[in-house]
Amino acid sequence: MQNPFMSAAFKPDLAFTGAAERFFELLKSFSLPGAGAAGAAPDWSALAGSLAGQFEQWLKSSQSAGPWFTAASAPGSGAGFGAAAASFGPLPLGAGAAPQQDAQRSWDLVARLAQLQAQLASYWSEIAHDAAQRFVTRMGAATGGAPTLDGALKLYELWVNCAEESYAATVRKEEFCRLQAQLANASAALLVEQRRHAETLVRAFGLPSRNEVDALYAQLKELRTQLAELTEARRARPPQPDRATAGRGAGKRPASAPARDRRSRRARKPRA
Amino acid sequence: MRPFAADASFLAGAAGAFVPELTLRVADTLARLRQARDVTVGCSAKRAVWSFGKTTLYEYLPLREAARDAPQRSAARPLLICFALVNRPYVLDLQPDRSLVRRLLAAGLSVYLIDWGDPDDADRCLDLEDYVERHLGGCVRHILVSRGTSSLDLLGVCQGGVLSLCYTALHRREVANLVTLTTPVDFHTPDNLLSKWVRELDTELLRQSGNVPGEALNGLFLALMPFRLTQQKYVRLLAGNSDQRALEDFVRMERWIFDSPPQAAVALAEFVRWFYQENRLIRGTLRIGGKRVDLAAIVQPVLNLYALGDHIVPPGASAAMERCLGSRDYTGCGIDTGHIGMYASRKGADEIPSRIISWLRERP
Repeated sequence: MQNPFMSAAFKPDLAFTGAAERFFELLKSFSLPGAGAAGAAPDWSALAGSLAGQFEQWLKSSQSAGPWFTAASAPGSGAGFGAAAASFGPLPLGAGAAPQQDAQRSWDLVARLAQLQAQLASYWSEIAHDAAQRFVTRMGAATGGAPTLDGALKLYELWVNCAEESYAATVRKEEFCRLQAQLANASAALLVEQRRHAETLVRAFGLPSRNEVDALYAQLKELRTQLAELTEARRARPPQPDRATAGRGAGKRPASAPARDRRSRRARKPRA
Repeated sequence: MRPFAADASFLAGAAGAFVPELTLRVADTLARLRQARDVTVGCSAKRAVWSFGKTTLYEYLPLREAARDAPQRSAARPLLICFALVNRPYVLDLQPDRSLVRRLLAAGLSVYLIDWGDPDDADRCLDLEDYVERHLGGCVRHILVSRGTSSLDLLGVCQGGVLSLCYTALHRREVANLVTLTTPVDFHTPDNLLSKWVRELDTELLRQSGNVPGEALNGLFLALMPFRLTQQKYVRLLAGNSDQRALEDFVRMERWIFDSPPQAAVALAEFVRWFYQENRLIRGTLRIGGKRVDLAAIVQPVLNLYALGDHIVPPGASAAMERCLGSRDYTGCGIDTGHIGMYASRKGADEIPSRIISWLRERP
């Protein structure tokens, strides 16, 4: 399923097309034989199975249901694992590229993701069936009436209300929230594992690894902090002539004009 | 796109009666959406005056009509807008008739805005201390020095409001008045779905797995109400008789909603852990740069505006601010709209600038 919501270049026309397609799908359900002819009381309960099925399918295929779900799309679950790390950036390497002993942990994580994905599917099913049931109950013995576009749109609004209510009831449950976190954690763990493999290879080629660059950054930051503290302390200290160095220091920049002050008075050049 | 009208089984059904009309509306809306694809965003003139890393501080140029009142403007205390890290700030200046910035400028205020930019892999270790003390703090210090003033007014929006609260608590002399918009303080209110979802995230793994793309966060926000946010709002375009201008407004908002910058790994992990998981801000256990962030230390006037129908920052999460601050001059106000509506709706565009301007005028 093409998903405009996870794309860097968002295309509202594509999103609209997808939503319109789903609206038509829904209308098709409403026009099934069970919905009855104009003027007759339709048997809404006959639509429940079809509505729930459609809805469940959308929940499963839609990546818009959350980044963690996307990340947790395990092999065989439809989306394929190629998209698995899309939420956290591309995987540097496949699990198969890692040394044998390291690869095992990656495959274990993939298996764990598949297991969590299966658990998630049961929630989608629960939400879909509950939403369909809510819809059927609210429609009750409503008569069909002459089909109009406005009527169809009202029906759609009702359906969305039911869907959101069912969704909200389920996704607030503690066990669902825990599953969400487990999915996110497992996909992040897999990504970290993959990057670890990449580091091994990078080291073999004598290239700086991500961890080394990060360590360097941490040192730089520490130095910047120390420099700022020293500058601050120097500025706070009242100027005192040092007898021992008074003569030698002649001609040097006075201590009362620290570099930071001079810099802050000057508007820095904005980045391009 | 599948050909709707060519579906014979559907056309044969009872709903088939209005299919030709519906098909026409779909085609018309689609064509107009494509026309509107290249709408521009941002309308007020501004200039970059300072930068640090990926962060840029902008100063908005006064409007022509406000410039006539130049002496008053130059004497006014500058107002710095601190937006969230997770979205772009141009939503505050989206288009002339829906621009908080423009309204503030028209009122003669001197407006500055922080754009956090796009953190890349070199910024993955940026932490909240960096953002609060060096980026936000750098902007504040630059404005104070360049304007020759000892304090400014700070307007924090959403997550930017949280950063603004932290900064104000840590540097109370530099902030004269604080305005917060849709700013959470209590992250553990029962209706906070986002908080429930991230409660058991492993933030150490989050930190290790690198910067988080903006699309991933968008997906998370959409998942809070997936049918309304990814389906219903588009189908609703079929219902109204919206003109091209209304459609362009819609596309502008869409562009903003889906235009999210990546998040620096460490700062995001800290934000999730300290705020969403441990609720440190309201518990008084938050420390930034080794210093305790004590909300009771905020004694200056505070205006807190929040949305009553907010699904991202529930009203209770923001209204809790009242009982934590040390300020005796606190004004809290719930606006009857949603999170996005605070910036984009007609109601938000009318009510919010008016409230901010009149509140600031009463506190010169």
